[in-house]
Amino acid sequence: MPPFQSDRTHTAEDGVMVSAGRETVPAIVVNEVSHSFRATQVLNRVSFCVLPGSIHGFVGPNGAGKTTTLRTICTLLRPARGEIKVFGKSTQVAPEEIRRRIGYMPDHFSMYRQMTVFEYLDFFAAAYGLELGERDRAISDLLDLTDMAGRRDSLIGGLSRGMQQRVGLARVLVHDPDLLLLDEPASGLDPRARIELAGILRELRRMGKTIFISSHILSELAELCDAVTIIDRGEIRFSGPMRILEQQQQGTAAVWNLQLSKLVDGLREKLETLSVVTTAMEVEFSDGYVFQLVTDMGVTASQLLRELLPMDLPIISFGREKRHLNEAFMDLTTEGVR
Amino acid sequence: MFSGATVLFRWSLRSDASAQWPHAARALFSMVILCALSVAYANSISVTQVGLLFFEAICAINVLVITMCGISYFSTALTEEKDAGTMALLHLAGMNPLAITLGKSTSRLVSSLMLLVAQIPFSLLAVTLGGVLWQQVIAAWLAMAGWMFLVCNIALLCSARCRTSGRAATVAGALAVLFFLLPYLIGTSVAALPAGSLHPALISLSERVPGLMLQVNPLERLNEILFQWQSTGFVSSQLWLSLLLGCACFGISTWRLNSWTRSGDDEELQLGPRFLRKAAGRAWPLAMAWREFHFFAGGLQFAVTKLIGGAAVLGVFFWLQSQDELGFRWRLNAALTDLALLSFAAELSLELLLYSAGVLSSELRLRTHSALALAPIGTTRLLLEKMLGCVLSTIPVLFWMVVIVLLGDAGTVVLRERDVVLAWCIMLVFSCHLAALLSLYSRWAALRIWASNMSRCHIRATPDSNKE
Repeated sequence: MPPFQSDRTHTAEDGVMVSAGRETVPAIVVNEVSHSFRATQVLNRVSFCVLPGSIHGFVGPNGAGKTTTLRTICTLLRPARGEIKVFGKSTQVAPEEIRRRIGYMPDHFSMYRQMTVFEYLDFFAAAYGLELGERDRAISDLLDLTDMAGRRDSLIGGLSRGMQQRVGLARVLVHDPDLLLLDEPASGLDPRARIELAGILRELRRMGKTIFISSHILSELAELCDAVTIIDRGEIRFSGPMRILEQQQQGTAAVWNLQLSKLVDGLREKLETLSVVTTAMEVEFSDGYVFQLVTDMGVTASQLLRELLPMDLPIISFGREKRHLNEAFMDLTTEGVR
Repeated sequence: MFSGATVLFRWSLRSDASAQWPHAARALFSMVILCALSVAYANSISVTQVGLLFFEAICAINVLVITMCGISYFSTALTEEKDAGTMALLHLAGMNPLAITLGKSTSRLVSSLMLLVAQIPFSLLAVTLGGVLWQQVIAAWLAMAGWMFLVCNIALLCSARCRTSGRAATVAGALAVLFFLLPYLIGTSVAALPAGSLHPALISLSERVPGLMLQVNPLERLNEILFQWQSTGFVSSQLWLSLLLGCACFGISTWRLNSWTRSGDDEELQLGPRFLRKAAGRAWPLAMAWREFHFFAGGLQFAVTKLIGGAAVLGVFFWLQSQDELGFRWRLNAALTDLALLSFAAELSLELLLYSAGVLSSELRLRTHSALALAPIGTTRLLLEKMLGCVLSTIPVLFWMVVIVLLGDAGTVVLRERDVVLAWCIMLVFSCHLAALLSLYSRWAALRIWASNMSRCHIRATPDSNKE
């Protein structure tokens, strides 16, 4: 069973899950997939699941096996062991059917530089068997979506990297796939282009597309994604919703943030006298307004509040420290490049 | 400057030593020499001058290999830096054009000369076998070294001028073909004209240019060394002219490298004049065929150009006939029909081989194969569509070939020598498939195949071979 930690349930046999009484098919189920290139084991019993209609991040250090995983999912590579199902269909049984439902954008530009933007999209639309009228409609919509309508007749070779990335995204969408597999779509883009790309991806999610995105830009993934899978040296370190990752804490201690509206004299010493608090410390540069309380992992918010409220403190906010994706990434992955 | 050139030179030698294929090439050459030796030994019963036979074979193979090296190996000396986008980095590292051209070309030249030097001890066996003097052997190696120097520097010039390795290899290949064929074409054309129809200055030029080319031609020089040794010496004008022309090409490459590299960068931004690609129109339902025809094989504009060019060439043949026969008639005589058909057949084979060499490798180069693989087109259909796109582009040449057969004398080569035509078709189809396959492993495989075919044709067309 893929280690997808969700409130939804899965059945191992056919990858179908039940959510609030409705039966839905996961967009991707990767089950015990292993692959190697000659002597190098690139993927080792990789398992995870991607929910339909979600943006699922896929992160890992260089050489972790991200691109190989993506290539196996999009049927370009046949895994040595294990099974991959896309919308319930096995990649080994029905690759043609799956290809019609996915759009794959590789980590490099794959462009015919002598074509114009329109010709390029028209070519791929025709390759996917769209009729002339459908092609016109699809290309027009895609140019609007990617904000490239003004560059319709520009040569691809003359476009900037960000614009080429948009054209690449439009190409992926030309046959209206249900699942988008994007390999490092934001690499090499400037901040504006990255923000605009994130906007387009949100819009696509709103349209019901499932997006499986591999990226190195963790901060943006954290904001964008509903779920994340972390891979390192060919093995899955974590796979599940972002909120579980954020709450998951390494070790035995939990950290709580406490923000006050007024300064209270000798508060740190007072906080350390509380039975559930191990350590209390003033956050640097907060001038005594923000404190961090370290407790045992098992201490709940109500337990801590029960001891804090009698102190009659001017509390503005109180909450458990969330772990950021980049911290989780650093915790879960090992140093160095394979 | 020289430190930069030395670094480049050392780096190139090191990569040559660590790569597998130069060693494989040397091993292959040893095998070829062994084969030539075996053939010579087998013929020793019936032939008296076994050493001559053995050495002649080695020389012919070497000239062929040097020429092919010029098309592929030497012509990528500078373009490999342009392809990788590292030319600007070399400039930033303080290397001037002389250091770059010296560093990049000398290593290749030395590496190739090593291939020649390694054969000298074996070739001295020819002296033992009889029929060749040691002086002839040395003179032959000098002639081939001179040819290699010239080829290396002409290819360097192509490499400096062209933006990509593909273009450099194409230009170098075209120059090699022109070099070997032009003297014969000029000679044949002038001979076909009636006396007094050309201006004396043109006649003089038509004699001097082929004469100069034949003087540099290594095959002519080798013939002279092997069969007319009494009338020649160790060194000849072939060697001096090769060195002179080679130095001139090297000088021009160095002098113009900066400006050509800059204009290449500008070209990258412009991607050619826009009017050349206006008529691509909407993609056809056979999308791959549309792409191949318009964006790989030149499109409608190139097809129209070939149609007009074919008409012009045919016009020249009719004009030649009218000059010869004192009057115009709508049927070409047998000799001109054969010549016209052969010219168009050569163009067709070159065109098809070039398409074959690029049809798959271009997708690898542009890294579009994964996007195409995901499109719902089967591999077989994809390849057939690609083939269709390329074949569509050859319609003008095929059209003119049909016209020539219709307008030519009934006894054309097509009808007279059906076996030869059939064999040519089979050879062409096989070569195209081989070129497409090899292009996945080696860039511009077609040029090598074509060059080897042309060389075979050239050897076959020489008077000595015909006598056999």
